[in-house]
Amino acid sequence: MINILKRSVLLATLVFGAAACTDSKLYETSYCTLVDVSGTYASEKDNVVNIVKAGVVPEMVPGDSLFFVKIDSNSYAEENLVTKLTLDYRPTKANGQKLALAKTLDKFASGKARSKLTDISGALMLCSDFLKATQSGTQIMFVFSDMKEELPKGVVRRFKDDEFDGINIAAMNIIKLNKDSSNPEVYRNRLEKWDERLVSSGAKSWNTLIDASKIQEFISSTK
Amino acid sequence: MEYLYIVPGMPGVSIAILVLFSMIFLFFAREPVHKMIQAMSDGSAGGLRKLAEWTKKSAEAMREKDKKVLLESGVAKMQGEILQEFSRIDAANTKSLSGYPKIQLRLDESISRIERDYEDCGQVSPMAPGWSEVVESIAKAQGSTTDRIIEKMLGEIHKSAVAGEKKALSEFRDATSKRHKILTAMAPVWKRVEKLGKDVGNQVDKVMENGRNIEKYMTQYEKISAAEPESVDLLSSKVTKLFIISLIVICVGLVGAFINFNLIALPMSELVPAGVRVAGMAVSEVSALVIVALELVLGIFLFEAMGVTHTFPQIANMTRGKRKIILYGALFGLLFLSSVEASLAVLRENLAEAKTALDISLAGGVAQITQSLNSNITVIGQALLGFVLPWILAVIAIPLEMFIEASQHAFARIYNIVITLLCHLANGIAYLIESLFKILMHIFDIYIVVPAQIANLIAGKRAATPRGHSGATAVAS
Repeated sequence: MINILKRSVLLATLVFGAAACTDSKLYETSYCTLVDVSGTYASEKDNVVNIVKAGVVPEMVPGDSLFFVKIDSNSYAEENLVTKLTLDYRPTKANGQKLALAKTLDKFASGKARSKLTDISGALMLCSDFLKATQSGTQIMFVFSDMKEELPKGVVRRFKDDEFDGINIAAMNIIKLNKDSSNPEVYRNRLEKWDERLVSSGAKSWNTLIDASKIQEFISSTK
Repeated sequence: MEYLYIVPGMPGVSIAILVLFSMIFLFFAREPVHKMIQAMSDGSAGGLRKLAEWTKKSAEAMREKDKKVLLESGVAKMQGEILQEFSRIDAANTKSLSGYPKIQLRLDESISRIERDYEDCGQVSPMAPGWSEVVESIAKAQGSTTDRIIEKMLGEIHKSAVAGEKKALSEFRDATSKRHKILTAMAPVWKRVEKLGKDVGNQVDKVMENGRNIEKYMTQYEKISAAEPESVDLLSSKVTKLFIISLIVICVGLVGAFINFNLIALPMSELVPAGVRVAGMAVSEVSALVIVALELVLGIFLFEAMGVTHTFPQIANMTRGKRKIILYGALFGLLFLSSVEASLAVLRENLAEAKTALDISLAGGVAQITQSLNSNITVIGQALLGFVLPWILAVIAIPLEMFIEASQHAFARIYNIVITLLCHLANGIAYLIESLFKILMHIFDIYIVVPAQIANLIAGKRAATPRGHSGATAVAS
């Protein structure tokens, strides 16, 4: 009887110990920023890179990951990934990585990447794949676009029901098109459709951030 | 509802018939209904009464147990205090009495000297008796005769007598002067004797005071041993006060530990950069926590080895040499950890500066890390804080021991208060339930009051008729 009791206590200790030692990924955050390089939004690259550098990168802590994806005519492709980064657990090394990332982003901003059509869905699906692969506890997508999708012929984009499961999505720096200015309802309906599509595909939340200074607040609210 | 109507189309009559039948039925079933209500009351309120009884007994048992523990610990503490007082008195008496033979010797010497001087004063030098009368007689006799030879003799005798008188007076004056000198020399000796007497008096007073202290302790000890209610209350009050004070100090210490933890958690991530978490905490944070805990443990060992606290009897029973080893080990460990913390605090400031510079750079500004005066003050301040906090944390060992000692009594009191409250609550609810069931019984009696009164009337008439005719029993109301 005593032996059984001893074994039970030992087993309970081991189970508790194993449960106590959890994977740190659950406490990490993965970010994916999608940048539209099509049409009129291509001129916003500089601005977007500055927002990412000043708003998103400083919020990253050791262990966090960032994927920088461009939205072009056919976005669901590996070459659309501009850069990716997972910060080292050492703060000093992580600082160096952030500086290197900033340089890469600056290079992208000064580049000539441009496209005719806008495959936002493909980029979102690509980001979803990247974020899911990290298995991070918090997953956030920032979409920098006018949110007007124009797919090439033959390109099909259908979201699965759990496509964006657990992912917080925020649309930022949305530029209003000429049609939007003449009739704001067009703009609002467009955003509402995105809201419906993404939330019905499992997105944890859908937000539109007008002010870039609200990024920190948004990130804190998702954690 | 219509299916309940006995007379179709006449709900009023139907209800009246139903009520009438139910009244008659309930009148005949009144005894079992009363028993049922009583059983329900006993079942619910009785259970609560039992619970109240159990809690009361439990509270009493706990109070008795706590009282025993309190008295035993009080007796043990008093014994320790008496023992300590005895050793203190022993040391004080040894110190006081060690000087006593010297004082005695000096006193004897002084007294011998006084005696000798007194004897010297007692040796009176002989006076020339009647010298003046002799000289005057010879002077008168000198002119009474014509004999020149006799006259000359008398002159010579007169001269000798005057010289003798002068010599005797001189000797007398010398002797008197000597006695005066001896008496003058005796004054400091008297003063010394007086001082020695006072010294002896002081030592005796000290011994008497120590004796009074022992008497006081013994009186307290007797009171506690006799388990007098006043002494139990006094002990309880003392222990509660100790618990509150130690709790406050520990809370303050915990705040210090929290500051200490935050000071070293960030730089620890530079030293322990593991991605694994334990119970939701990063390994670096756990390491920082372990360092803080180690400081506390070292503090406990330090004060244990110094003999200030007595948490571990094994350490208290060790030889002086072994305790010294533990003492130096704990001191060295604390010094090492405080040095590590000081360096981590400096690293923390560097990391914070680097992060600020990076954030400015990412925001498009020009990063400048200037070694300004403020920055130096912050670094020095943090380093000092990192060095001092472990020593302050180590001191928590003292109130921690007090807290552990006092917590048993405090928790017993809290338990007693809670369980007594539960007892009162259970009693109150039981009373309420009993009252409700009584009201229910009265309502039932009111409902069947008409058939009951009719039955009473019939019973009354039967009782009034001659004995032979009455066969039925009276109906109880």
